Amino acid sequence: MTPLAAYLLVSALLFAIGFAGALTRRNSILVLVGVELMLNAANLNFLAFWRYGPNPEALTGVMFVLFAIAVAAAEAAVGLALIIAIYRHYCSSNVEDVATMKG
Amino acid sequence: MNVDYLQLLKLLAPECVVVLTVLAVLLADLQLWRNWSVSARSFGAASVLTLGFGAAAGLLIWKRAVTADLLGGSLVLTPVSQHVKLALLGLAVVTAWLCTEGKFTQHVGEFMALIALATTGMMLLVSTENLLLVFVALELVSLSLYVLTAFNKGSARSAEAALKYFLFGGMAAAFMLFGFSFLYGLTGSIHLPIIAAKISWQAADPLTLVAIVFVVVGFGFKIAAVPFHLWAPDAYEGAPASAAAFIASGSKVASFFILGKLLQVGLPGVAGSGAWKALAPGWMAVIAILATASMVFGNLAALAQSSLRRLLAYSAIAHAGYALLGLIGGSQSALLYYAITYAVTSMGVFGVVAVMENRAGSESVVGLAGLRERSPLLAGVLTVFVLSLAGIPPLAGFFGKFYVFIAAAKQGEGLGYWWLVALALAASCVSLYYYLQVLKQVWVVPSERPGQGGVAGGIVVSGLLVVLAVVVVALGCAPELLLRFLK
Repeated sequence: MTPLAAYLLVSALLFAIGFAGALTRRNSILVLVGVELMLNAANLNFLAFWRYGPNPEALTGVMFVLFAIAVAAAEAAVGLALIIAIYRHYCSSNVEDVATMKG
Repeated sequence: MNVDYLQLLKLLAPECVVVLTVLAVLLADLQLWRNWSVSARSFGAASVLTLGFGAAAGLLIWKRAVTADLLGGSLVLTPVSQHVKLALLGLAVVTAWLCTEGKFTQHVGEFMALIALATTGMMLLVSTENLLLVFVALELVSLSLYVLTAFNKGSARSAEAALKYFLFGGMAAAFMLFGFSFLYGLTGSIHLPIIAAKISWQAADPLTLVAIVFVVVGFGFKIAAVPFHLWAPDAYEGAPASAAAFIASGSKVASFFILGKLLQVGLPGVAGSGAWKALAPGWMAVIAILATASMVFGNLAALAQSSLRRLLAYSAIAHAGYALLGLIGGSQSALLYYAITYAVTSMGVFGVVAVMENRAGSESVVGLAGLRERSPLLAGVLTVFVLSLAGIPPLAGFFGKFYVFIAAAKQGEGLGYWWLVALALAASCVSLYYYLQVLKQVWVVPSERPGQGGVAGGIVVSGLLVVLAVVVVALGCAPELLLRFLK
């Protein structure tokens, strides 16, 4: 197995674990952790493709990852703020308790 | 790489003005007007935002014939993108004035600032062919909209809607980023024209299909296509009316624009086909499936709704399905005409919803009973908007549907996409039922409590609703008014 294939395999695994976590966890903070894992799997992909790609002199992949990390941080900040807002109303951060709207 | 920063600044001047408007609104609201009442502050903030956006629109009109491609596809301006930006600015201004109808927050300055930030993201989104900028701009839009959704701090439903919107949105963003990483890996570039040159089925690769599916999942969430629509009904129901209006209008226009560009400019080599008996893997097939599911599910689910907002949400899902036909048809002008007229119409309906909730305290379809007597003005404009959503000529919604259906029907050989067009026509007939149910309440059913007081919105909001209704009628009578700016 080439190193690139190994990296892609790891990142696919990471993405799958994150997705499974996001779908099955009940605590909304842990759902957020799952989403962050998915984003990091994509970052790992970018770095692997950049490092083993045809022209690693162009820093496209690294730049994309830097921006993605910053965006993920902003997303986590907004997400935690929303979870605090939820906690104020429901006294719980469990996604199953937060289900008053249906239909 | 040599960059002409002065040139860059000139071309990005409208976006810069919008960002300065954010700061001006915050400064005015948090510092200068601290002792004013909430309603005075909201009128003041909306005025500042209108002035700033007016200046940005002036710059856009001044430079509307520009054609530029800077930094290797990072900033791509065409007359069409300039006109779409104008439409986005207009929608944002209407949203800001809708915010003055409704007393859901003390922090109007922050609310307006977030609207302006989301608008910045949308404007950048329509002026780039670079995956990195697409991702960053889309996240700027999404993060602003999550916070806008949660802005009614006193309401548990607002927080719940925002959490659901956020969790689905976060997952969709991760899917999109993963898809982008494969596009980068397959082509070594994040510029759409270079990707287009390098990607095709000749170098058949299962990774290509993975990339396409993941990217479409990410955008399917933004445009609320089935099966990625789960957030939409809750977000539309819980969010403050003006925030919901912006999610339903501006965000949709920008997302459809960039989705169309991404697929048609970036991935023309892997279009595949969803035509009758000629199914071939590619994004056309994926989009055809999404369109089918959205039209069928959206319309059927809307039949069962009693809340006006949820009805609008499911109707929005169905409309996303119709708009995807424009994407399949490959006609950018038809798609944009549809998205913009739909945005204007749904903005209008949400304006009526805002007034009804604020002044009459009702948000159900039944609560509209007797509106004919309680407020002839609201009844009149709501009728125009709802008939336009249903696609009745001579309103804008009819020509929107007409153009996307024609575009899809012309695509492919033989029967081609006629199956999809026939399905869309059938779905439109189904949708008539629930749209007419709304109008039945307005015009036929008498008020539950006779002698119930009249309903009237503020002067500005009423005026804006009339303007939106006139736009819907005018664009229906003379579609060329808008269409020639989108070609």
